[in-house]
Amino acid sequence: MNKKKIILLVEDNPDDEALTIRALKKNNILNEVIVARDGAEAIELLFGETKEGTSPFLPELILLDLNLPKISGLEVLKRIRSNDKTRMLPVVILTTSNEDRDRMESYELGVNSYIRKPVDFGQFSESILQVGVYWLILNEGPPH
Amino acid sequence: MDNKIKSTSISYVKMILLSVVITGATGVLFYFLTSRYVISQAEKNIQNLLLSHRGIHMYIQRIMHPALYRYKGEGEINEDFYSPELFSSSFAVRNQHNFYNEARSKAGLEQMYYKMAAKNPRNPVNKSDALEDKLIDMFNENPNCKKYREVVTIDGQKYLYLAMPFLKTGKACLKCHGSREIAPIQLQDRYPGQGGFNDLVGNIRAIESIRAPLAHEYYTVYVISGALLCGVLFIMMLFFFNRRLKDTVMVRTKELEEENKERKHAEAEVRKLNEDLEHRVEDRTAQLNAANKELDAFAYSVSHDLRAPLRGIDGFSLALLEDFGDSLDDTGKDYLNRVRNGCVRMGLLIDDMLKMSRLTRSEINKEELDMSQMARKLLEGFIFSEPDRKVEIDIQDDVRGFGDSILIQNVLENLLGNAWKFTGKKDAAKISFGIVPESEPVTYFVADNGAGFNMEYAQKLFSAFQRLHSPGEFQGSGIGLASVQRIIHRHGGKIWAQSEEQKGATFYFTLA
Repeated sequence: MNKKKIILLVEDNPDDEALTIRALKKNNILNEVIVARDGAEAIELLFGETKEGTSPFLPELILLDLNLPKISGLEVLKRIRSNDKTRMLPVVILTTSNEDRDRMESYELGVNSYIRKPVDFGQFSESILQVGVYWLILNEGPPH
Repeated sequence: MDNKIKSTSISYVKMILLSVVITGATGVLFYFLTSRYVISQAEKNIQNLLLSHRGIHMYIQRIMHPALYRYKGEGEINEDFYSPELFSSSFAVRNQHNFYNEARSKAGLEQMYYKMAAKNPRNPVNKSDALEDKLIDMFNENPNCKKYREVVTIDGQKYLYLAMPFLKTGKACLKCHGSREIAPIQLQDRYPGQGGFNDLVGNIRAIESIRAPLAHEYYTVYVISGALLCGVLFIMMLFFFNRRLKDTVMVRTKELEEENKERKHAEAEVRKLNEDLEHRVEDRTAQLNAANKELDAFAYSVSHDLRAPLRGIDGFSLALLEDFGDSLDDTGKDYLNRVRNGCVRMGLLIDDMLKMSRLTRSEINKEELDMSQMARKLLEGFIFSEPDRKVEIDIQDDVRGFGDSILIQNVLENLLGNAWKFTGKKDAAKISFGIVPESEPVTYFVADNGAGFNMEYAQKLFSAFQRLHSPGEFQGSGIGLASVQRIIHRHGGKIWAQSEEQKGATFYFTLA
């Protein structure tokens, strides 16, 4: 797998972070995973000024939790979609919430996929595999 | 109010005084007018009588006298013959009047006084009384006075008294009424004394004096004026009662207005109370809405905050099994599996709880529903998922209801799902749905011949997380019937169940 394809995981819960990374590894998705632990950190990573003056990195896939400290997942999604550089990035929401209004708003803001994290780790792992295979391998993104 | 009544009563006193005055005045007027009329009628009667007397006078003087003098001239009657019965018209009239009075008495009428009164009559019968003397003098003194007329009362009886000059002595009269010496010898022989002699020319020798009883006529006066007065009284009473009626109506109107005012006042109060109540309801509704929102937020955080650690427990248990499974014996592995099962089960419970909370919070949009169709589709779904089962299905046609389609769908899904589930161990399963015949309000039922339950536990049936069967027997979270009951209650209906163990269960519900 292409190691340059970075996955940005926005997740505040360290357990979920560990489980997600474990699931990726178990499914042989060996891309680099950069973790942002709240919405502000995610925005800083995507749009913040780097010390060397180089442009910030562009991940291949963003796995975004909704319920985040400081800046919510939906707000992060909104910023991603309103910035020319990032508006076409595939964003998959990975959340515990199954509320209608969360799903509605996510799709209104232009999310690519909405996955509800199952309690059963077997199922969770399966979901991560599917997401990884689909967005990182099968799906052809827009030309850079 | 009191002032009004007082002023009304004062005007009543005035009215009574006024009516007494009016009645008196009209009574006097009627009495005056009718008595005048009656007297004039009596006078006419007297005039008639006098005219008929005049006829007798004329007959004797113009017919009998010439005849008698002719008989004397022819020698048929002695030249000296004189008889007042044949020669005196006064004698004839007086006697005729006496017979007339006799006839009146026989006829039950009062006699009528009549006299040819003279101060110096030839016949003493005709001698004037004191009043007549005065009247004769008066007529002589006042030649223009042709009539004396007066209503007199004698012994309490009223009479019309009439007197008028009758004989004025002319030159020819002196032949018999002059001095005694020159009068015919027969007269001198017949009437000794000076009676009827020594008259003077131009002197009124006799008056006709007549008195007619008025008692009968006064009856007429009383009757007519009484009747007229009654009429006036009647009219005044009508007027008076009309006035009273008006006053009564006015007072009653005032009372009604007062009542109306009070009623309006009461209405306003009721309206105010209603408004207060509405305000309170609004307040409560706002509070309830706020509480609902809090519940909503609570449920939301429960779904997130409880599920996340569960996933952790499950995930790391599996990690433990996978990564360190070698160092665990079978008991250790079993424990970890039990931990994982618990996590999954708790996740399901949380999901169901959320589902129920969502069902009971969502808005209700009622519409006409084809519940037969709904039930049929649901059962088709169950059959599709378990095609090997043999279940006899009986769904009444055209079962209609009025409710929220999503919520009622949920009710049927739960009830039919239970029926499907609890008949799972029957060889000849049977599920039916329909309306209880002639039920009021319309009562729906879902019946099966499955496991049923003991009626002792019927009360627990609709409580959340209560299960009457062990998970080993039948799967389920114990949330279904609790949701169903909430939905039915939110529709204003009722739900109850009837069952016998191993013989099946029937659930009944209404929607209003």
